[in-house]
Amino acid sequence: MKLLEYKAKELFEQFGVPVMHGCVVDDLGTIAQTIENAGLTYPVVVKAQVQIGGRGKAGGIRFADNAGEAGEHCRALLHSELKGYRVDKLLIVEKAEHEIEWYLSIMLDRLSKRPMIIFSAEGGVDIEETSRISPSRVHKLVIDPMIGIQAYMARYFLSASGLSLDYLGRMHELLCNLYRCFNAYDCMLCEINPLILDKKGQFIALDSKVDIDDSALYRLPDMAAFRDSIQEEALIREARDFGFLYIPIEKDGSIAVMSNGSGMLMSCIDLISREGMKVCAALDLGGGATSERIAQAVRILVSTPGIKALLINIFGGITRCDEVAGGIKLALMSAKKNMTAVIRLEGTNKEKGLEIIASLEGDIVPVPGLRESVQALKDRRERL
Amino acid sequence: MSILIDQETRLIVQGITGREGRFHTEQMLSYGTRVVAGVTPGKGGSDVLGVPVFNTVREAKEATDANATIIFVPAKFTKDSVLEAIDAGMKLIFTIAEHVPVHDMMFCYQIARARGVRLFGPNSFGVISPGKCKAGFMAHRMFTPGNVGVMSRSATNCYETVLMLSNNGIGQSTCVGNGGDMIPGSTFVDVLPDFQADPETKAIVIIGEIGGNEEELAAAYIKEHATKPVVAMIAGKNAPKDRSMGHAGAIVSADGTGSAQSKEAALQDAGAIIAQSTQHILEIMLELKSKGKI
Repeated sequence: MKLLEYKAKELFEQFGVPVMHGCVVDDLGTIAQTIENAGLTYPVVVKAQVQIGGRGKAGGIRFADNAGEAGEHCRALLHSELKGYRVDKLLIVEKAEHEIEWYLSIMLDRLSKRPMIIFSAEGGVDIEETSRISPSRVHKLVIDPMIGIQAYMARYFLSASGLSLDYLGRMHELLCNLYRCFNAYDCMLCEINPLILDKKGQFIALDSKVDIDDSALYRLPDMAAFRDSIQEEALIREARDFGFLYIPIEKDGSIAVMSNGSGMLMSCIDLISREGMKVCAALDLGGGATSERIAQAVRILVSTPGIKALLINIFGGITRCDEVAGGIKLALMSAKKNMTAVIRLEGTNKEKGLEIIASLEGDIVPVPGLRESVQALKDRRERL
Repeated sequence: MSILIDQETRLIVQGITGREGRFHTEQMLSYGTRVVAGVTPGKGGSDVLGVPVFNTVREAKEATDANATIIFVPAKFTKDSVLEAIDAGMKLIFTIAEHVPVHDMMFCYQIARARGVRLFGPNSFGVISPGKCKAGFMAHRMFTPGNVGVMSRSATNCYETVLMLSNNGIGQSTCVGNGGDMIPGSTFVDVLPDFQADPETKAIVIIGEIGGNEEELAAAYIKEHATKPVVAMIAGKNAPKDRSMGHAGAIVSADGTGSAQSKEAALQDAGAIIAQSTQHILEIMLELKSKGKI
């Protein structure tokens, strides 16, 4: 789960990673008061809290020289839409005066299977861009969990980047704090870009990015609450309430795919795409395919805008096919949508399941395998 | 022969009194797996289907001389269970839970490597040597004894492939579920030497997917050491970008690592035969069979 900037900033602050002074605005009625209470030094920056690329270009970042201007920006931005996302929160921070713009992050590196620190003296821009254009200016260091953060690591980054060792103490402290945050909150990524020095010579995280492992949310109650508060596509959230994973694929797709494993979903999407057809959404059922769960999954999936056909590929081995078929029947009967449903079932009580499928009316196509299911869709291509 | 598990395997089931643990213990026993002990804290002294239950792995191992353990506990207890098994001296550990926090797994991985322990999973169906032993929750009916070694990051793609192979008279020596997580205990490159050394295994099937560099590492091994035919498939070519991996993964893959194209290219260069789908794997295996290679 990627945190919104204001939330990431709060988290950094909690772990002693210095951030710019500011406040969060989320209520139209109390804008002036919130700004006044924050005791800001002007100029300030008003930043819309939405997870979109090119936020500045879309008008989501505005500068203000006094409280009045800041208030105007807030009234204009709050609850407006940016690239299709409603702005429910604004972050106002003091505008920084600084010279350096560095990059610092700790990420979970799946190649070394350890945390990795990435540092560059060329911050403020996309690190992938820097990696590509001037890879020699991006420095990486894998952390051995037994060693943790040590002063020599800060020394390495400064030395390798040709920077003064005067920064050593501050850099070491910053790394320690960021690493504590990384571990305490099960982070996949803690990124500071840019990292700046203020006039007092203190490091400050001007922008904060944090990505948290979804599997760890059960032990991070504050972050679980945050997840429930953020905007998400309604279908993703609805699916999650049932323990399903709903994945939107292509906006102009017309085929939805459902299976009980992400590998099979990927295989289905690959085969459909290879035939030049487009998938609009995919749903992973996970385990426990009872008829009620299947019915809910089908109901959610057929709510996908633009859907014309449904491919259900259940391959459970011990999954009971009659349960699955019963669920499909329930959902399709109440969906009242005239759509194609290609159904492949493999597992216990397969014959019983197929009988139920055969009793359904409409364009319901039982198929014996993955290849045949894609062929059935291909045969109906004109209508999809 | 086969790899990792066989008739000599003496298995512990951690979490044996839970719903899943009990059900799959029954399944494993009926398949012929020698489940010698179960572990559930607080249930020591009881038994499940005649299998003695202990409070700790250490006691279970001392009493039964078990040489492998499978962990059926929920994700949030997986770290403790893995570390307990490692500390009790178990050298072969299978863990199957979904949604184990990746920081937990990162720690378990490092400890397992440091202690010379073979750890498989999580988010895996386990391992099966058809006709001999199974340690996992796979539906064993579709697996048949034979001489193709299969390993997969995805359970469903593995089932699909194995069912087709079995229906066409191509059996398997051992099937390994590496699991779909970001940090699996073992990856293809860890298992390849076993398949290469196993006289019963005549060909190897790798079912990979996008993300990470497991397939690239496997390719490097294949290029240097593999003398058996290797067939590889990469799932997820058309999966939406950034949906599951996000920014953190994208930095390291600025060089192309992680994409299906990079993986296929590396494997092809190493001499592996690339399959486009599970169906295609079957076609390639049938051809190998007709040439007498398996």
